[in-house]
Amino acid sequence: MYIRTSKKPGQEHARMAAYIAAGIVIVIIAVQLLVPHFLPSIFTTITRPFWRMEFSVGSGSLESPQALLAENESLKTQLAALNVQQQSVQAVVNDNSELLALLGRTDASSTTVSSLKPIPGIILAAVLVRPPQAAYDELIIDIGADHGITLGSKVYAPGNILIGSTTDILGQTSKVKLFSSPGETYYVLIGSSRIPATAVGRGGGQYQAEVPQASKINQGDTVSDSSISDAPFGIVTAVLANPADPFETVLFAPSVNIYQLRWVLIATSTKK
Amino acid sequence: MGVDRNVDKEMKLFLRIILDICIAIAVLNGWWPIAIILVLIGAWFFKLYIEIIIAGVAYDALFGMTHGMGWRGYEGTIFSVVLLIVVKLLKKLVR
Repeated sequence: MYIRTSKKPGQEHARMAAYIAAGIVIVIIAVQLLVPHFLPSIFTTITRPFWRMEFSVGSGSLESPQALLAENESLKTQLAALNVQQQSVQAVVNDNSELLALLGRTDASSTTVSSLKPIPGIILAAVLVRPPQAAYDELIIDIGADHGITLGSKVYAPGNILIGSTTDILGQTSKVKLFSSPGETYYVLIGSSRIPATAVGRGGGQYQAEVPQASKINQGDTVSDSSISDAPFGIVTAVLANPADPFETVLFAPSVNIYQLRWVLIATSTKK
Repeated sequence: MGVDRNVDKEMKLFLRIILDICIAIAVLNGWWPIAIILVLIGAWFFKLYIEIIIAGVAYDALFGMTHGMGWRGYEGTIFSVVLLIVVKLLKKLVR
């Protein structure tokens, strides 16, 4: 007679697994209800050294001192290079603002179509050399025949102020003779009465003109181009009157400082 | 014969420990797809593979069990219990 004393081992295992699983789940629920942060803190405490080690390996803390010193040196070099790059970026930003202002766009964020339209008949040029570096009240600009500049093209400073004309066109540069060059003459209209006069260059961006005594020209009056464009030419800085002389001398200068010019606008044939 | 059985038992234990270590690495790195594959292998080939529940609890304790997560913070534990039962039943059916 066979008496069965035990169940199959497989069934025993299954039952044991079920008991253990149920026991673990009950323990977890109980622990979570009684001490909610117990299990996470236990497992995190166990795992933290491994995570720290992984982080250390990842960040190179376990490298040799020589390697760390080399890396430090490399990072310092990179930082210096980035600083230089940052300065270049700042210079470009400044140039951009200046160009926007020059083209009548004071708002750098403006993206309207009209504000982005190129101005017909106007070419922007960078001033490479300016007084006093260049003698004779002359500018050297960075565009020439390659941009279709022609001899005698009028040159305007920011604010549409007529300051000179091109006198020498080279391949990629041009020379601009300022109307304020000593001995240069240009016909202008002075004051609100628009008294016609001949401006004579005195050098350094300064002009003088002779007008009749009764012209009533005052300091601060505007001087404009005598052509149809009526472009601003300068502002009267002084009026020298001699009662014995039927003419008075008007001294004026453009409202921009020619020693600080960085950009100019070159008018082509379409500029009116 | 008995020696062979002992060697086989030792080899199984060794493999089980290796698999447990791999599961632990996967869990503490949060690589749950790898962990699932490994626990499935373990549950299929080893008897009473209770490590599956430990792995689930450990995963939840490390990355879940946060106050605002609700039952989703216990996904690992629930999944591991379900997995253990399902694999056990499958083994019973197949073998």
